[in-house]
Amino acid sequence: MQTWDKRETEVTEGKSSYVREGVPSYLDERRHSQVGRSVPKVDAAAKVRGEAVYADDMTLPNMLYGKIKRCKEYAHAKIKKIDCSKALALPGVFAVLTGDEAPNKWGIVPHSCNETVLAIDKVRFYGEGVAAVAAIDEETAEAALDLIEVEYEPLPALLDPFESMARANEVVIHETNPDNIAFHGNQIYGDVDKAFAECEYVLEREFKTGMPQHGFIEPQSALASFDPHNGRLHLWSSNQVPHYLHRQLSIVTEIPMSKIRVTIPTVGGGFGGKGEACPNEFAACILSRKTGRPVKITYERSEVFFTSKGRHPCHMKMKIGIDKDGYIQAVDFDNTMDKGAYASWGVVVMFYTGSMVHLPYKIPNVRSYLRNVYTNKPSSGALRGLGGVQPRLAMEVMLDEMAEMMGISPYELKMKNAVVSGYTAANNMYVPHTEYKRCLETAVEKSSYLEKHGKLPFGKGIGLAGGNYISGTAYTLYQNYKPHTTVVLRVDTEGGVTVQCACTDIGQGVDTVIAQFTAEALGVYFEDVHVVVRDTETATFDLGTFASRLTYATGTAVKAAAEPINQKLKEIAGQKLGCRADQLIIKDHKIYSMYETKKTMSWDEAVDIATSTVGTLVGVGHFSPPRRKGIDIVTGNRIQGGNIGHSPTFGFSCQIHEVEVDVETGRIRVKKVTEAGDMGTPVNPMAADGQVEGSIVYNMGAALYEDQVIGADGRHLNPNFHDYKMPTSMEMPDMFINTLKDSYDPTAPFGAKETGEGAVQPTFPAITNAVYDAIGIRFYQVPITPEMVLRALKEKKEKEAGCGA
Amino acid sequence: MYTNEFEYLAPTTPAEAFELVGRLGSKARILAGGTDLVVLMKDKLTSPEYVIDIKNIKEFKGIKYELGKGMTIGATTKISEVQYSEIVQEKYPALAYAASQLGGTQVRHMGTIGGNTCNASPSGETPTPLVALGAKVVLSSAAGERELPLEDFITGVRRLDLKEGEILTRFILPEPSPKSVSRYTYAGARDAMEIDCVNMAVNFELEDDKETIKYVKFVLGSVFIKPLVSKEVPALLIGQKFSDALVEKAVAAAQGEAKPISDVRASEWYRNEMVGNLTRRLLKEAFAAAREV
Ligand SMILES: Cc1cc2nc3c(=O)[nH]c(=O)nc-3n(C[C@H](O)[C@H](O)[C@H](O)COP(=O)(O)OP(=O)(O)OC[C@H]3O[C@@H](n4cnc5c(N)ncnc54)[C@H](O)[C@@H]3O)c2cc1C
Repeated sequence: MQTWDKRETEVTEGKSSYVREGVPSYLDERRHSQVGRSVPKVDAAAKVRGEAVYADDMTLPNMLYGKIKRCKEYAHAKIKKIDCSKALALPGVFAVLTGDEAPNKWGIVPHSCNETVLAIDKVRFYGEGVAAVAAIDEETAEAALDLIEVEYEPLPALLDPFESMARANEVVIHETNPDNIAFHGNQIYGDVDKAFAECEYVLEREFKTGMPQHGFIEPQSALASFDPHNGRLHLWSSNQVPHYLHRQLSIVTEIPMSKIRVTIPTVGGGFGGKGEACPNEFAACILSRKTGRPVKITYERSEVFFTSKGRHPCHMKMKIGIDKDGYIQAVDFDNTMDKGAYASWGVVVMFYTGSMVHLPYKIPNVRSYLRNVYTNKPSSGALRGLGGVQPRLAMEVMLDEMAEMMGISPYELKMKNAVVSGYTAANNMYVPHTEYKRCLETAVEKSSYLEKHGKLPFGKGIGLAGGNYISGTAYTLYQNYKPHTTVVLRVDTEGGVTVQCACTDIGQGVDTVIAQFTAEALGVYFEDVHVVVRDTETATFDLGTFASRLTYATGTAVKAAAEPINQKLKEIAGQKLGCRADQLIIKDHKIYSMYETKKTMSWDEAVDIATSTVGTLVGVGHFSPPRRKGIDIVTGNRIQGGNIGHSPTFGFSCQIHEVEVDVETGRIRVKKVTEAGDMGTPVNPMAADGQVEGSIVYNMGAALYEDQVIGADGRHLNPNFHDYKMPTSMEMPDMFINTLKDSYDPTAPFGAKETGEGAVQPTFPAITNAVYDAIGIRFYQVPITPEMVLRALKEKKEKEAGCGA
Repeated sequence: MYTNEFEYLAPTTPAEAFELVGRLGSKARILAGGTDLVVLMKDKLTSPEYVIDIKNIKEFKGIKYELGKGMTIGATTKISEVQYSEIVQEKYPALAYAASQLGGTQVRHMGTIGGNTCNASPSGETPTPLVALGAKVVLSSAAGERELPLEDFITGVRRLDLKEGEILTRFILPEPSPKSVSRYTYAGARDAMEIDCVNMAVNFELEDDKETIKYVKFVLGSVFIKPLVSKEVPALLIGQKFSDALVEKAVAAAQGEAKPISDVRASEWYRNEMVGNLTRRLLKEAFAAAREV
């Protein structure tokens, strides 16, 4: 199965997945040979051999090393004075930078930009940068940092969103937000109160989630080279959104975008954490302009933690109403989020938490009250499955509890309410295609959930949860309706097949997927395709790696770009073969008539003729997402953030976790996970399974182990992988991934949807529900620590003893 | 992230090493596997002028066992060697198991057993079973050698009774009593790369009736400034018939003796609960094993 030999395509030809019954092969748009192949990622061998080049592997002649001085005294303080004179005097130091030299504010969302490259006047979180140096080597740069003297006047550190709102009259984190509330919004669809009044079952619960961060292995690293002769800037950086970085660099440095080039080398993971610009990038650029030499700044792990823009801790209230027939009628959702120090993706994530309540169940009445509050903590931002996993925890845990109230299986309740293809949610979110019910069925059947649930011995449990995620977004973050992705394909005898697109592979595999799409669309093999990506100058526009958008976006653009090339080749072949161009099919390096199979010629020959007569063939394709708006007609209320959550299509997943709880230590071990996912066509089944497995352990981490700990004074207490505990290989459960191989979204390119973020959604609640099944204790909070388990068990025991007496 | 500039010295004989350690005194730090020292140096928590690498001295490494006499383990023996040594597994299973639970594979192949003791972290993995097994350390210098029970050598958090000029060269483990068993257990959030929030080891022997406790040495780690040798648990158990009620008394005694703290890894409350639950688990496990020998 895991072969990359092109002969494999011949083998698959006869298989049912390749030939659909009842559909003549020449009319079957699902008859793929390159999409659906398990191929190793294009960069796999180089990575395994240690030959992939990451930003920090790079050096340029005359390069300097930069470092950032950070505030390690306070989490909130006024900067009274910064004295860099001693640092500048240190031999080997070339330049020092302070915040006032780069005052233009940056941020991923234009209307809430509020970060500067280095703090000006005030630091708002522990570890914020206050100055930067460029020196001949890293040791000198580090020594220079110690010579920079900063005088602070401490301010009270607000570390909890409720405290932050309550004390806003006395402490304000940003002058622009005197109530310390970064964003708030209400979304009211339908008549929630009326619906509750008519419900048979109503439950209300409060939930809390922790503060995990991304845990990518490669720390941020940026190498900038400013050429004083032509005023051009070239930045190589570990980032997942080169376009947004490009834009922000231009704003901060005041260099036009056309004179800035962003190149992304190999990236060692991002998970959203590299989904906006980062101060090291700006500082490297500005120090390079100041010194006229290339400057590289690579973060240490502690800096990654201090500046990480991880998952928003959420304090949620959810109320669900179900009618006597078991249909969900209403959901009331209230979410107070911990923004940390700066805006980042905050407004987007906040509205996502509201819109994510609308799927994957049919809910006619939904009301969300949302607020995102500044605190003096690391800023929260984008993290894999953003905005989805917190409300998903609440809803899936409550449905588990409500099923118990109703005396039915959670599976039955979820099946009854699951969305179906063509569903339009109360907020106008449209689901063109879903196999969610089949995900539930498959996972339940493969795990024997119904036979085990409620029947395992004390300490062992099984839990079910479902979820979904977007396959891209509908809008750019700045107002513009341009195409979100542009692909250029180039075919000629010399270069073969080249696909150009500035999409960014951060490990998720878009380089491979785009090559498979290109091969499929042009009728050649995956191995034939050269990918030119991750560069704002040599590759064409792409918005970035987030929102699980690239499979859908690049697939659509590749298809469009292939059309003119195929047309030209068919015309050439048609003349040679003596048949109509529109009756020709291009596949597996052959061009042949769909009716007369004897009329066939090799694709390469046609390309040779084309190159010799008309020259290189080029095709351009764009992707623009469908536009939909949130609606505000029902109540007349203004619906805020109503279009966030709209997506061309959605991926779905069901997970069943089996856990063991050690009642003496309180430790929870996930032993087995059975997953069934609907990602449309799995473009590369091997990589897709990897994504799903990765998703599961990823959120298993934040469900059981991972949490950033902030001390009472705002200090970060575990900014390292020793004390910030991610699961190791020892914690890996057995995984049974049952991706629905025949799922196909007819509205999606090659039928393919997302999987990289959908499969993280069910993990929190599936584990939480399994723990309930094991020990009869429902947790409304993650991570569930051994200490929480032990305390709860003790309380339960005492209560039971009390009842008995 | 960067260490200070230092001179790296790599003696190949004990005499050279003693000469260097004696001459350079507090200006130098001894380097074995470096899995603790290099981390501290990069964080600039220590910035020695000289680093004396003792790994190349063959006299300081290796496991030797002589029936009836016991074992010596060279200070620079890798943790992984202790973990996989068949004779350690057979004679001192608590130590082999503890070694197998230290850090991760890479750390165990770099780190040494002497380094683990000399790092003197309260949560250290191997000092707890070593103390329970009655280990002595041999401290050598140009002037000669002295022996000390391990529990007297570690005096506090990162504190040792190591005189200037001395190197820990080996551990001496007495031959275990043929009917005794040793066991180790720990609590931590995950199964690898874990700093224990509590660990403990017991050396345990029953009378011939397989009921009455003849000997117990019970040691707790991570709940005091150094490995804590329980006084009360042996006092309660020795001479008594093993029973659940007796174990509960031992549990309470152990909890009374432990002085855990709250930190980022666990709260005092949790550590105290763990002392109780693990004491119960460990004593029962040791009892079951002792009945089989
Ligand atoms: C990722 C990671 C995970 C870890 N996990 C664990 C764990 O789970 N449990 C645990 O207990 N430890 C753990 N450690 C700590 C460390 O690996 C162990 O303490 C190891 O045994 C230290 O041995 P070393 O040879 O590397 O010591 P070194 O770093 O070489 O030395 C440690 C200290 O002892 C001194 N020293 C070393 N040898 C001698 C000697 N012969 N005479 C006198 N002084 C000496 C050194 O000067 C230094 O102060 C971990 C470390 C890392 C980096």
